Amino acid sequence: MKWYDRITQIDRRIIYLLLTLFIILPLFIPFKIPQNVMPQTQQLFDFVDSIPPGDEVVLLALDYTPQTAPECHPMAIALLKHCFARKVPVIGVSFDPQGPGLAVEAITSVIREVNENARTREDSVIYGTDCVYLGWKSGRVAALLQMGESVPQVFPVDYYGTPIDSLPLMLRVGNYKDVAIAINIASAAYPDDWIRYPQSRYGVKVGAGLTAVMAPKYYPFVQTGQLSGMMSGMKGAAEYEHLIVKHGYTDDSGTAETGMNSQSMIHILIIVFIVLGNIGYFFSRRGVKQ
Amino acid sequence: MKRTIPLAICLIMGVVMMIQFFIPHPISLEFNSTILNWIIVLFAFALVLAIGNLIRHHSIKIRKRKHDWPYSIVTLTSMAAMAIIGLFWGIEADSLFQRIYLNIFAPLSATMFALLAYYMASAAYRAFRARSLEATLLLAAAFIVMVGFMPFGQYISPRLPAFAEWIMRYPNMAAQRGIIIGVAFGAIATALKIILGIERSWLGGKE
Repeated sequence: MKWYDRITQIDRRIIYLLLTLFIILPLFIPFKIPQNVMPQTQQLFDFVDSIPPGDEVVLLALDYTPQTAPECHPMAIALLKHCFARKVPVIGVSFDPQGPGLAVEAITSVIREVNENARTREDSVIYGTDCVYLGWKSGRVAALLQMGESVPQVFPVDYYGTPIDSLPLMLRVGNYKDVAIAINIASAAYPDDWIRYPQSRYGVKVGAGLTAVMAPKYYPFVQTGQLSGMMSGMKGAAEYEHLIVKHGYTDDSGTAETGMNSQSMIHILIIVFIVLGNIGYFFSRRGVKQ
Repeated sequence: MKRTIPLAICLIMGVVMMIQFFIPHPISLEFNSTILNWIIVLFAFALVLAIGNLIRHHSIKIRKRKHDWPYSIVTLTSMAAMAIIGLFWGIEADSLFQRIYLNIFAPLSATMFALLAYYMASAAYRAFRARSLEATLLLAAAFIVMVGFMPFGQYISPRLPAFAEWIMRYPNMAAQRGIIIGVAFGAIATALKIILGIERSWLGGKE
């Protein structure tokens, strides 16, 4: 077998083994590659950073599933840290049935972390006053439209069954007029509905946190201003983590920056394999012609 | 009659909901609000139907000992267990329900999804060949975007991230916009066909 035929027929077990090594090694040998922040991530960060503290709320729609959690969960964590550090109240909702489990985990872990480091009451986050999670609701499109008229009508109780008129934060949130931005972190095409209904009909600002494969579809919406910024994939999450550390909102960079190291190594490996495959293909085709 | 009444309801509601969108009168808004609440309730009922259907499908499979029937027992047992645990012991952050979700369901789902990385790497190596001009262009664009979006792409060339971003913002956006507009026109046409009763497949059965 000629050398160029050999490099086009590498055993898949070797590919799998190398891939495993390239994923695991960066987790044990940590290194830091500076992030170059993409404009749409910077745009989303700047928008959240410009919301006056304690005034309007950030509506966080947490619609990602465990399958896409490595990409989307760090986005939710970074956004929550950013909002809490700036004293911007957060309301969480989910329209994907798999969403609440991870949403509860993200919200409680960030609240716990903030409160462990808090020195005064002002530094801490209190559930019901600074943050509320409303849980899951069926009939996504109808619920999105109805929330434009009245949020309490769609969510009369929060995720834990507490009537929302007993939660101080919800007393000052009637509909989208009280929302500075709705950010949908999603692993499916849910941002389409946020753009079509709350954004188009009620003029609410919409941001998005998406998996990398979904992001190309949403570039037109960023360009038209229908999306006020977006994070795409693990890179977007790592960029947002980098921005909140850079601006002094937290000392701890999250899991996406570490994940990006593994992802970058895999991308290099895939590129090397594609190049090898094409070199082999080129020479074998020349050999056939000769 | 079985077909005429649903078609009439569809026509009336379709036209009324379209008109009310442009009328900001309190009666119109109240009507819209009521209908939206109905839709939310209807979706919840659809969920009950789905659960019923799932139980029925797997019960038949177990009873008739069809292919892979033991997995149906796992499905039904898991569903019942999660429902009982959630209903009786709560769904709070430190509840058993949440622990099962985070420590069993989430890792299992993530593992299944992570296997894709192996298939994708192997498939990219075997299938991503510069066989034609189109394939070469695709290969070049993918190469630039992958390297440009990697954090150290900037060290290969400071212009690489900007070039990758340019590909996403212009050629990609032009194509995506065309697709979005095409899909939107298709959706409008389909919606009109359903409202006007031309498209009747949603009624089920034959003409």
